[in-house]
Amino acid sequence: MSVELLLGNEAIALGLVEGGCRVATAYPGTPSSEILAGVVKYKNQLGRSVYAEWSTNEKVAFEVALAASWTGLRAAVAMKQVGLNVASDPLFSSAYTGVVGGFLVIPADDPGPHSSQTEQDSRLVALSAKVPVFDPSSPEEARLMVERAFALSEELGTPVMLRPTTRLCHALQSIPVAEDGGPDRPARQTRFHKDPVHWTATPKLRQRLHGELNEKLQRAEQAFEASDLNFVLNAESKTRVGVIASGVAYHTAEQALLELGVELPVLKIGTPYPLPRKLVQAFMNDLEVVVVLEEPDACIELQIPDRRRVRGRLDGLVPGAGELSPEAVCAVLAQALSQAGIQVQTPPDDPALLALIASLELPARRPRLCPGCSHRSAFFALKREFGPRAIYPGDIGCYTLGTNLRAVDTFVDMGAAVSMADGLYQAGRLVGENRPIIASIGDSTFLHAGIPPLINAVHTGSRFVLVILDNHTTAMTGFQPTAAAEVLADGSAAKRAVSIPDLVRACGVGFVQVTDPYDQQSFREVLRRAYAHTQAAEGGVAVVIADRPCVLYDPSPIQRDPIPVVVTNECDGCRYCLEAFECPALVLSPDGSRVDVDRTLCIECGQCIDACYKGFILPEAMVYQDAPA
Amino acid sequence: MSGRLPGRESAPEPSHRPLEFKLLLAGVGGQGVVFATRLLAGTAAGMGLPVLASETHGMSQRGGSVLAHLKVGGTAAPLIRRGTADALLAFDRDEALRNLPFLRAGAAAYINTPDSLPVEVAQALRSRSIEVHCLPATQVAMELGSSTVSNVVLIGFAAVHPSFTFPLENLRETLSRYGRGLNLRALAAGAEEGFRAAGSLLPASKRASGA
Repeated sequence: MSVELLLGNEAIALGLVEGGCRVATAYPGTPSSEILAGVVKYKNQLGRSVYAEWSTNEKVAFEVALAASWTGLRAAVAMKQVGLNVASDPLFSSAYTGVVGGFLVIPADDPGPHSSQTEQDSRLVALSAKVPVFDPSSPEEARLMVERAFALSEELGTPVMLRPTTRLCHALQSIPVAEDGGPDRPARQTRFHKDPVHWTATPKLRQRLHGELNEKLQRAEQAFEASDLNFVLNAESKTRVGVIASGVAYHTAEQALLELGVELPVLKIGTPYPLPRKLVQAFMNDLEVVVVLEEPDACIELQIPDRRRVRGRLDGLVPGAGELSPEAVCAVLAQALSQAGIQVQTPPDDPALLALIASLELPARRPRLCPGCSHRSAFFALKREFGPRAIYPGDIGCYTLGTNLRAVDTFVDMGAAVSMADGLYQAGRLVGENRPIIASIGDSTFLHAGIPPLINAVHTGSRFVLVILDNHTTAMTGFQPTAAAEVLADGSAAKRAVSIPDLVRACGVGFVQVTDPYDQQSFREVLRRAYAHTQAAEGGVAVVIADRPCVLYDPSPIQRDPIPVVVTNECDGCRYCLEAFECPALVLSPDGSRVDVDRTLCIECGQCIDACYKGFILPEAMVYQDAPA
Repeated sequence: MSGRLPGRESAPEPSHRPLEFKLLLAGVGGQGVVFATRLLAGTAAGMGLPVLASETHGMSQRGGSVLAHLKVGGTAAPLIRRGTADALLAFDRDEALRNLPFLRAGAAAYINTPDSLPVEVAQALRSRSIEVHCLPATQVAMELGSSTVSNVVLIGFAAVHPSFTFPLENLRETLSRYGRGLNLRALAAGAEEGFRAAGSLLPASKRASGA
């Protein structure tokens, strides 16, 4: 045994490999992305035979792993919570069909949200799909729960959800680890057996399967009544106020009670669905008030049959949005206690200090595209070519930050840039409006969900320009390979890198051009021709592929050919470059009179030369050549 | 390396340092907050102390504010409540100011800045017995050849203070596993600055330890 520092996601990955998971699939998305990377790491470290893949999207990932389970192997699929929406079709169906090998669905929720478009609760999706849920509260517990969840999945023959949240996924914890990962676990069965009653169940049979599923849930609830994952902290406390907590909120509550100096009984729920209702009722019997702390929404609270003594999100005691921060939990507990006539000294915020800091009006630091990012060059060209009248549907990825540059007007979900452009065109056409529609989407997102809407737009005769920002990787989440990459998840060579231009042409798009956004002049020329195609009588959708690797993923082109720049003395501090180009390496001088280059951030891509329309940003080489001897 | 340090042979013994410690690390994406967090968490684990650190990933890594919570000992709650942190390690002055409300009375802030804090803030902190230690760590790092190690410089600077849970010796051991000589030089340079500053402030720190 040794103690290792593991990220929550790595702890889950280690649990999967130790637990005999044979097939692991995922689509990257914060906060889940390190799970599959961890599976690759530990399968190599422990020498286990595991197939791991970055799939093209979550639905594909789900079905690949599900099929493995149907052959009898243990399998798992990981994604962020909104990825579960993409995979919800097979999720709901597979709850009915059941599984053979243990099958874990691992969606990472994002209370906050920190990196997502919603704060949705995957446990509520599981409740709706009738899939049992394990809700870990720390990396160490998450690793332990993987084995429990696999065992339950096999025992009941049903998919099981393990639901971590951001603060667990990205918590680093010291955990005791066995060097060899323990004995390898053989699969219970390794062959696909034909079973039409389950695998090809028609609607009539599905009703029977639904009944079977309900029975499985009853058995799950019975198992959870006796599970040591549900236990009471401070059981000897005589207070009339208690807490039911799950996930990370359990430890936040534990810390808050220590800080408030009160010992309340806390029922820690590790299995929120189906809720062990007898256990919960027994806990509540001796209490006057029970505060439910869970994230990001009310799942346990909704299932408590007798709600008269329950305080939580449904009655407004617990905030309905945002993370259960230590401040929020402290405030909630203090309020519940005070209403029960128990005064605690709320360790207070320091209002004077907070007001003083607020009075400094510190600049909010919003996320920005990195220095040298090719998306910035592409957006800058789009904006100069089509101006503010054009509509710019955008998508999910680093390039969502194009909104800072006013080159992204909408984002909804993966792939929506294409369908929103389609819809905006059809809506405009109805009312006789013809504004340029310029959509942007990344390479990974295009492969994930951009192809069906592109086919749709071609078929219905929509007219817009789609810019595929191809930076050769899934950059936002840590450079996972896409289907257009030469490598697979484990670093081995891909059988074949899928060609994005070929795909676009195969969708029936009449204008496809691959071009480098770093070459602003020719990029804009291509954009003009693309737009002309959308306006031509026989035209339609035009696709421009902005082809330039992410500078973090592959800095070699810039390292080979650096273009250091200088801001000349003529700079009058007009700030156009700061606002329209927003490179972190261009900064206002302390007195605000001019713009300087921050050499610690600048990567010498030379792209900002185009960002000063007055010509005051120049290549260093040119300035020195022109200087008088 | 410690032989170069004026007036002292080594950092105080680990046993004199707090075994429960709540530390915030604040900076901007790209300043190595995650690396610094892992260095400290790895050091704590190497000392046999239970550790839990909360990192920032994803969107906010792209140049936005980055805040990491690091807890040695205590519960497995990932976040530190405002008003309860023992120390703040800030790689940027604005991020330092923004996160000062996390500190408890009597805590310490180590800030990478060539400037001092605004007078009224300094006064407010003094009235709460919060120690402030500023160091132009970026400048020190650039003298070593790379601004990227300013995070390690600041950690070396903080580590000479006995209230900082992570002793220099253990940090050095963790860093040498990463195998980069520059980081070790950065740690030593930060420590040297720390000892120099502590030397000049000796009466004050004596008062503090006597309290």
